[in-house]
Formats: sequence, structure tokens, C-alpha cells
Amino acid sequence: MNTVFKIYRFDPESGRNPRYQYFEIDVTKGQTVLDALIEIKAHKDGSLVFRRSCRSGICGSCAMQINGLNKLACETQVEDLKSKTVTIDPLPGFKPIKDLAVDMEPFYDKLRAVLPYLINPDSPPTDKERIQSPEEFKMIELATSCILCGGCTSSCPSFWADKAYLGPAALVKAYRYVFDTRDRGYSDRSGVVNNKHGLWRCHTIMNCNDACPKHIFPTEGISLLKRKVVEEKY
Amino acid sequence: MDRGIGSGGAFAWFFQRISGVFLLVALLAHFWVLHYVSGGDVTFQIVAQRLATPIWKTIDLAFLVLAIIHGFNGFIMVIHDYIHNHNLRLVLVSFIWIAGIVLGLLGTITIISFQAPAGGGL
Ligand code: FES
Repeated sequence: MNTVFKIYRFDPESGRNPRYQYFEIDVTKGQTVLDALIEIKAHKDGSLVFRRSCRSGICGSCAMQINGLNKLACETQVEDLKSKTVTIDPLPGFKPIKDLAVDMEPFYDKLRAVLPYLINPDSPPTDKERIQSPEEFKMIELATSCILCGGCTSSCPSFWADKAYLGPAALVKAYRYVFDTRDRGYSDRSGVVNNKHGLWRCHTIMNCNDACPKHIFPTEGISLLKRKVVEEKY
Repeated sequence: MDRGIGSGGAFAWFFQRISGVFLLVALLAHFWVLHYVSGGDVTFQIVAQRLATPIWKTIDLAFLVLAIIHGFNGFIMVIHDYIHNHNLRLVLVSFIWIAGIVLGLLGTITIISFQAPAGGGL
């Protein structure tokens, strides 16, 4: 099936304004948007820039806006989009570097800000690992499956309005450790999440829930974290 | 990274939930009393008589204060959402505080000093 790909092009060196470029290719059954991009790069225009690594929804590097929604290119089959023209833009809200590649550094900064690792001053038992019951793990199971693609944060209107807002990805990461029964780092993280650029910028718009390719439902984690902060304080 | 405008915000968020629930109940009660209890007649006479009683003054005062704080708290949230220039934010938030306090005071004076007119109506 012939499909037109309308792709956002931006080259900071040429100084030209961003523009859309059209490529038509014959899409076969099961072909993903990422496959199409790879084909375009290989046969039509070698200068097209996009990120990808695993091609199987693990690494999170191929998140982009496809027909107006943030998705992983490697997990989106062209056929399922049911459109003759597929529009591809870089993740909104981040600074484009070139074509579909955006600057993810601020995103990682926020992740670092919530201390995304286990904090527990007690030394672990010497004969076994720190034990967690299946029920306790269930609380954080979904949140542990985040692949840091940035799709959620980039879809969030609160983030568009306040670039210093932590965003759903970092808040989900905070949730993942705060609600981990083995973690003792709440007091270290509370100042970062209980902050005007933190939890309280979330107005439960829920775009992040739609954007997340791993169906983590960030809004739910954020809401539980809000409640936890209020309970701890009052 | 600049986490500039500082920590906190939990109380504002929590208060918004609590006052929201109160306002929802109070608003429904308000409509119900106004349009059904008094037989659907919304005249100055009837409303004035009710407003002159201490219990209604208390209810309306709570309604007024919570509605104002709820509303202006919401304004402040919007300011924090969109205004990232420190000075401008300071000006706007101060303005919101002053406007809220002035409106609250005016309303409070009106409610507390209100007396039912003896002669009936204006
Ligand atoms: S290429 Fe790794 S998630 Fe798409």
C-alpha cells in the first residue's frame, strides 16, 4: 500500500526554517513506522535524522509524534494508523536538535533530581536479598517498566507551560521508589516532588496515560504520591 | 537545575479539594433552599429575612470565605502554571491576595451588618 510520510525536517546548520518533507513508499503488511523511516533513510534521503536502537520497544529511543500522538515508532504499525498520509514530528515540548532528534538532557536532569535509585541506610541482610512480598511489588510493578522514552512528559500540557516542571516520567520514577517497601529515601525526595515545579503542576489532564507505550498510567502514580505527601504533612 | 519558586504547595492542593467538596454541597443546598424551600418565590423579603438570622449569616460567611479562597487559590495555581518570571509572579500573586482580602472583607461586612428591613422590602 502506498503511503505518504510527511516528516518534520530541521537542520540548525542550514539556518532554514523547519519544514515538512514528503516521501512516498510502498508499505508492506506488518511494517512499522520505524521500518519506514529506516527505508526512507536508506533509499530516499540519507540525511534524515531519527533515534532508534532496539527496534522492539525496549530502549525508548524512538519516541516521536505520529499523526499527532506520542508513540514509539518501532511499536506502531503503519497499517494500524489507517491513514494515507502519516505525519511524523519530533516529541513536542523538547528542543529539536535535528529532524526528529530532540534534546533529552533536561528530561534526564529531572530524572536525576528525584534520586532514581534505592536509598536505604540499613545494610542489607548478608545471607539474602531485601525481601519484598508479591503484593508489595504489585504496587510498583507497572512503574518499574518505564523505558524513559519521554513520550508522557512530552505530551503533558503542564510541562509545555512550565519547562521546569518535573513531568510525569520523573514523578513516576519518584513514585516507583517512594512506594518501594525497601526504600527509605522519602525525606530526601519529598522536597523535590512537593514543589511548585513538582507534583502540584499536575492537573490530571491524563495525556500521559494515553502516550505511555507501556501503559503505566502515570497520573495514577502521581495522584498516589500527592496523597502520600499530604498524609505525611498533615 | 532551578527549582526556584521553592518547595511546598501541598496545602494549597489539599485545601482546594476540601473546599471544593464543601462548596459543592453548599452550592446545592443554596439552590435547594432558594428555589424549593421557600416555595420557589425568590423575593427580597424572603431572602432578607433568612439572611438576617445568625445561623444563615454563619453559613453564608463560611460560603463566602471558602469560595473566595478556593477561587483565588485557583488563580494562584494558574499563575504558577504559566508565569515563570519571578517579579511578574510576585506582582500578580500579591494582586490576587489583595483582591481576595478586599472582596472577602466587603462581603463579610455586608453579611455581618445586614438587618432585615422593618418595613418590608425596598
Ligand atoms: S527503537 Fe527502542 S523503543 Fe523503539
